[in-house]
Amino acid sequence: MNVETADMNTELMVDGNAIAGELEQIFGHDMTMAVARCAGCAADSMMATLMAFVRGPGAVLRCPSCTSVIARIVETPTATYLDARGMLYLRMTHAS
Amino acid sequence: MARLISRGFLGRRRPPEVEKRLPPGQYLVTDFPVLSAGPTPHTPLDRWSFRIDGLVKSPVSWSWPEFQKLPTETVTVDISCVTKWTKLDTKWRGVTVDTLLKGVEVDPAGQYVMAFSDGGYTTNVPLNELINGQGFVAYEFDDKPLPPEHGGPARLVVPHLYFWKSAKWIRGLRFMDRNDPGFWESLGYHIHGDPWKEERYSGD
Amino acid sequence: MAALEWQLGTVTTIQPETPKTKSFYVALPKWAGHRPGQHIDLRLTAPDGYQTQRSYSIASPPELSGQLELTVDLIQDGEVSPYLHDVVMQGDQLELRGPVGGYFVWDVTVGGPLLLVGGGSGVVPLMAMLRHRAAQHSTIPARLLYSCRTPDDVIYRDELNQLAGSVAGLEVLITFTRQAPAGWTGYQRRIDAAMLNEVITPFGTSARTYVCGPTLLVESVANLLVGMGLPADRVHTERFGPTGS
Ligand SMILES: Cc1cc2nc3c(=O)[nH]c(=O)nc-3n(C[C@H](O)[C@H](O)[C@H](O)COP(=O)(O)OP(=O)(O)OC[C@H]3O[C@@H](n4cnc5c(N)ncnc54)[C@H](O)[C@@H]3O)c2cc1C
Ligand SMILES: [Zn+2]
Repeated sequence: MNVETADMNTELMVDGNAIAGELEQIFGHDMTMAVARCAGCAADSMMATLMAFVRGPGAVLRCPSCTSVIARIVETPTATYLDARGMLYLRMTHAS
Repeated sequence: MARLISRGFLGRRRPPEVEKRLPPGQYLVTDFPVLSAGPTPHTPLDRWSFRIDGLVKSPVSWSWPEFQKLPTETVTVDISCVTKWTKLDTKWRGVTVDTLLKGVEVDPAGQYVMAFSDGGYTTNVPLNELINGQGFVAYEFDDKPLPPEHGGPARLVVPHLYFWKSAKWIRGLRFMDRNDPGFWESLGYHIHGDPWKEERYSGD
Repeated sequence: MAALEWQLGTVTTIQPETPKTKSFYVALPKWAGHRPGQHIDLRLTAPDGYQTQRSYSIASPPELSGQLELTVDLIQDGEVSPYLHDVVMQGDQLELRGPVGGYFVWDVTVGGPLLLVGGGSGVVPLMAMLRHRAAQHSTIPARLLYSCRTPDDVIYRDELNQLAGSVAGLEVLITFTRQAPAGWTGYQRRIDAAMLNEVITPFGTSARTYVCGPTLLVESVANLLVGMGLPADRVHTERFGPTGS
């Protein structure tokens, strides 16, 4: 991200920490340290470090290396949608 | 699950004097909330173009200076976002889809349009809801160049549908023979999105 | 594992921290404990069913049981922070869920040396770490670099002074970006490479760093730290949005 050309849209970006609650609601445990491999560039990122755009119809998580969409979450009154097409896989280390 | 009415939290307002102009479930805002699904693209204007392709006889494309020479219209409209805010009397200047389609020969099967944007955003709108002045590509808001956080240099504006249809950072329209879903329509949002019918989610 | 549940807490104390920030102590009968750096999601519901939700970091250390401290910066024209500041009173109930997040967490078992970098209300989760460190009588070397606009904006000022004076191995460095107190000899600019370099020198690239605050500050500090040779997995970041910018 270029801090010099930042506008309000850039400032409103947060990261995967901001949707830790939604992710925990979906998966049943903390997901911020799960590692997603980007389908666009194969970079590995912990969910907490993904770029997060949460002010819109849903939450959009993007790869911090190539900005491509890694996952999207939409909450409707009746259902939760999770689209994870943008990741090759998600790695969750077993609790020791 | 705990359930509480937060004491003294009024949420948002539906002032009686404008009540009739607010679609169901919508609240009035006076500021202009920034909504987005990704980083601001910042495409330099000398590399910007607007394209019409897909099911057309021959694709067309305008550079920024060419686009600026197209005849424009100025409109004042109310806009409603599916996140429940409505903003009244927003003033835009832009080029109507009717103007853009002059001289474009659309395949009769091309009854659906996918608007596509810098950064990969897409949204689908049936052709008959873009023509006759219903949709335009705006590059001025409130007599000033459209700021990047609101979709500048240019965005689609289709005021009679929820505002996610008004794609920010638009770069073109692609004609299709099916009503394929765009970015939000493919993940739980309504394929059409009429605020007066409260078409928020698929199934509404 | 139990799903994350919304629970009701009662506001027991409201304490002004600065002209623009207040701390809210919330008693939670069902609270299962937290780790320093975690946050909660707060949900407000209007009589017509309209709901809105925001995240707030937990300022109190796990050692304070039965209640949480939240510290909230007032955002003019905001939806939730003005409600908390201007409407909520002692005795009111708040609906929240948590604790959430496992990544932006530090406790004494993680070790050090520990470099905390905060801007504005970004100091809140860092304060939970420092309070925990003090409560554990830990001697892990720790430094807090805290960016504030003016002397009026320093959250937890007295407690930070007191911690810095009484706790072994802790140094608190404040930088004022708009206006410093009279006679100030410390930093008076936005956090830059030279400043980070000075602050991290005693620790070197083995420091565990936690950077929190306005998105643009976190973005630039994290880039600088990685540029200085810190392994990216030792630079923990949490972005609050435009807060304090
Ligand atoms: C993981 C996490 C932890 C957080 N912890 C804390 C905390 O401990 N203390 C704290 O005070 N805040 C914290 N925040 C920020 C907090 O969640 C809210 O964003 C903040 O309180 C503003 O909410 P609001 O409803 O008052 O303003 P909104 O109604 O959301 O925004 C009102 C206006 O201000 C702008 N705006 C939006 N967000 C901000 C912002 N953060 N700062 C400035 N302007 C903004 C918007 O563009 C809008 O025009 C945290 C955020 C995250 C993601
Ligand atoms: Zn990538």
